[in-house]
Amino acid sequence: MKRVILSALLIAAAAMALGAQTKTMTHDELVAAAKAEGKVVVYSITSRIANAATEFEKTYGIKVTASNLKDGELIEKVTKEVGGGIQGADFVICQDSGRVFGQLIGPGYLVNYVPETMKNVIPAAYQNPLTFQLINKVFIFNDEKTQDPVIKNVWELTEAKWKGKVQFKDPKMEGVNANFLTMLTSPEWSAKLDKAYSDLYGKKLKLTTKNAGYEWIKGFFQNGLVLGNSDTTISENIGIKGQPATTMGLFVFSKKRFDATKNLTLKPMTEVAPFTGFIYPAFLQLTKNAKNVNAAKLFIEFLLTKEGFAPWAKDVGAYSTNPSIGVNADDFPVSFWAPRLVPENPKYIFENRSDVEEFINNLQ
Amino acid sequence: MTIANQARSFFRKPHNVILVILAVALSFLTLFPLLSLVRDSFVVHPSEVMTVKGAKVGELTFFHWRKVFASGLTSANMLYKPLWNTVKTSLGSCAIAILLGGSIAWLVTRSDLRWKSFISVVFIFPYIMPSWTLAMAWLNFFRNRLIGGAPGLFTALTGIETANWFAYGAFPIIVVQGLHYAPFAYILIGGILRNMDANLEEAATILKASRFKILRRITLPIVMPAVLSTFLLTFSSCMSAFAVPAFLGTPVRFNVLTTQLYRTLNGLNPGYGYILALVMIVIGTGILAVNQWFIGKRKSYTTITGKGSNISLVKLKALRTPVSLLVVVFLAAIAILPLVTFAVESFIMAPGNYSFSNLTTQFWIGPGRVDIGGGEPGILINKYVWLGLWNSIKLSVVVALMAGTVGGLAGYAISKARGTRLAALVNNLAFFPYLMPAMAFGAIYLSMFARPFLGLPSIYGTFALLVLVGAVKYLPFASRAGVNAMLQLSGEIEEAGVILGIPWRKRITRIIFPIQKASFLSGYLLPFISCMRELSLFVLLISPANRVLTTMLFQYNEKGWNQYANAINLIIIVVVLSFNTVINKVTGASIDKGIGG
Repeated sequence: MKRVILSALLIAAAAMALGAQTKTMTHDELVAAAKAEGKVVVYSITSRIANAATEFEKTYGIKVTASNLKDGELIEKVTKEVGGGIQGADFVICQDSGRVFGQLIGPGYLVNYVPETMKNVIPAAYQNPLTFQLINKVFIFNDEKTQDPVIKNVWELTEAKWKGKVQFKDPKMEGVNANFLTMLTSPEWSAKLDKAYSDLYGKKLKLTTKNAGYEWIKGFFQNGLVLGNSDTTISENIGIKGQPATTMGLFVFSKKRFDATKNLTLKPMTEVAPFTGFIYPAFLQLTKNAKNVNAAKLFIEFLLTKEGFAPWAKDVGAYSTNPSIGVNADDFPVSFWAPRLVPENPKYIFENRSDVEEFINNLQ
Repeated sequence: MTIANQARSFFRKPHNVILVILAVALSFLTLFPLLSLVRDSFVVHPSEVMTVKGAKVGELTFFHWRKVFASGLTSANMLYKPLWNTVKTSLGSCAIAILLGGSIAWLVTRSDLRWKSFISVVFIFPYIMPSWTLAMAWLNFFRNRLIGGAPGLFTALTGIETANWFAYGAFPIIVVQGLHYAPFAYILIGGILRNMDANLEEAATILKASRFKILRRITLPIVMPAVLSTFLLTFSSCMSAFAVPAFLGTPVRFNVLTTQLYRTLNGLNPGYGYILALVMIVIGTGILAVNQWFIGKRKSYTTITGKGSNISLVKLKALRTPVSLLVVVFLAAIAILPLVTFAVESFIMAPGNYSFSNLTTQFWIGPGRVDIGGGEPGILINKYVWLGLWNSIKLSVVVALMAGTVGGLAGYAISKARGTRLAALVNNLAFFPYLMPAMAFGAIYLSMFARPFLGLPSIYGTFALLVLVGAVKYLPFASRAGVNAMLQLSGEIEEAGVILGIPWRKRITRIIFPIQKASFLSGYLLPFISCMRELSLFVLLISPANRVLTTMLFQYNEKGWNQYANAINLIIIVVVLSFNTVINKVTGASIDKGIGG
């Protein structure tokens, strides 16, 4: 019996030593270990991972297999793969915080890792889970006819003048859109919506639903909201020059980068009460059963550097959590956007989203 | 006779051996998924712990069933209304497909229509293209102010603004799916018409029956099983189609079962999704039962006997040229025009601008540009496209070989043992995968094979799993083709071989297969085409290394880089047509002719 305890202690000690060793691995050691693995597999919700992968391959000579998946697909795949003990991705770039927390981080399928070199760089708030970037979707209009913002208050979108002129990606196609709508029903945001209503119309909002958040969603959807399959397509539908009516949409700000190549004219609005859109994080996480752990760690670190973030940095609408990476000249920093946008609260979303999904599906 | 002797004599017949093996294998590959589907509809899934209040993951619950079937407005919007929309659009699509496909089939096989070879090749184009690309073409043509953007070509050319009901929702879904499946109806009905014994018609002619009477009393009854079979297959396909309703229905929030299935499977309530999938399976099974009951009433529909027969063509006389022209013009509009627009659009930089200065080869051979499509190079120099193309071809060929061979043997065995319970079981099992919505089928195979299973190592993420799911899903094409080919074949032909003492293998390869070569080959070709353009079946099972072309096509479409997508679509069509041409040249069989419905 003693011997058993002893050997158990020994094993524990060895494991601790091993753990300590990986923790104190120097950068050079990490690079060497990563190169020894020679390859890394990543699933990503952003297609520009392919460009970063090319750079990473050039820099370190480590082969990258990158797949671009939709947020729901990625979560489904990781759940089944890690849950089934199957080698899939070594690390992921994922979004849809409600589901990521509830379905992937909760059961321990994803492992948080903050590179040594980044511990003093990335703000603590973005370290657990490690956030890769923030992405914003904002109210954007076609500014061919008018340069002035076309709305000042989101309740205007429930009025007849905007009937059938607003577009939004179908929330059943992308989790973050459903998350945004869910957040609006939270006590905090429904109170803000309630106040915005009184400010605009000078009277109290009459509720036909649970709260002002639901009420706005109902008005927004029932005012002939045009749902789309992709933010890119919506940006074209809104932005193409030479259209008779001024239209607007709520979509990813980064689509503005196609203005020149697609003959678009898009302008974001920054002063809309009580929000001008929403902002959500994309996380960088190791998988529990990653095979090429070191290469994954190295790639994660690379993505947080200026070089690694280059494919995103050149455009508006993508914000690295590394404060030393500045934003595009035509953009504003997160500190400007954050108070104007609806953030994600993973816990609230995970607990309430299915109610909101059901509510939306029942709107005609 | 002892039981051992009975067993021995039972297994001495090759078709019994085939039936037993298939019964075991197919039970595992099709019934098991069904059972796990049923189980999943009663279980709390990880993403549902917040919906099903107070429940733990993996617990049994009736929550999903209650919500889907008996929760007032929620059930109405999740199940009943989408179900009605599904039935409506699927019936409409079937009507178009059967009328159009059947008419062209009759014209090509039984009349002296001009330019038959051209017509019969071009008519199958819409079937080769992934269905959503036709939906995209429809949107490009008829889009109106509702979704804004560049005006559709139709509006740009004529100045007429299309109505909403015309551009989006039920009507375009019916038309697009109808056109997509019309070639399928043509292939199935044409096969029967081509192989039909003309003696009956000739006899009727001699007896001075009017042409209309011949059509009504002889041709139609003979073709009826094929028409019903086509109806069953087309209806099931339309019912489980996701991409077309997603593209054409979303702008006006027109929901069908598959869009609800997608929403729930990919959202927080997969439990609802599994029930919706079950509903679709039940409907499909119902149609299958009606179909079998109807066919069961017929004594026999042997159409190829040992006696020679030749088909006499109906003379269209004065109408010959006008009808032929009409068909060609129509085909040009539905089959060639979309291709031309795809081709043109793959060379255009800013969408909607058709001026010369806006032309570019960027999307074909251009190096990556940071401001375009996330910096991806043109598809001809994109290594991922080549990888995807190679994977698609490899996958489709292997799936076709497996499904075609197994299905052919199944058809042989089923028809030989016709009337026995075992044959009926295998027949139904082999058809069952057709009734499973592809999306749900993929999801179940993911759960089944994402862990070691019955002692077998996990094959998730391997090419083998893609082959397996493809082969099982498309087996119905091959087994149907096989059964029909065999049922048309009079028993006396094989019996002659038996009497002469020719061994089984030789009878199959030297007698049966050659006679019904065209029909059996269709059992290879249909899985091949379907596999080349399949997406939702594979999407969850694909790992980065074995991605296929359609995944990229769909991503480009979704991300709004239609130029790349159109270019890839053209490549798919060219590949399928090349295969068809080669097979046609080598064997004389072809997708567009001789498929034994």
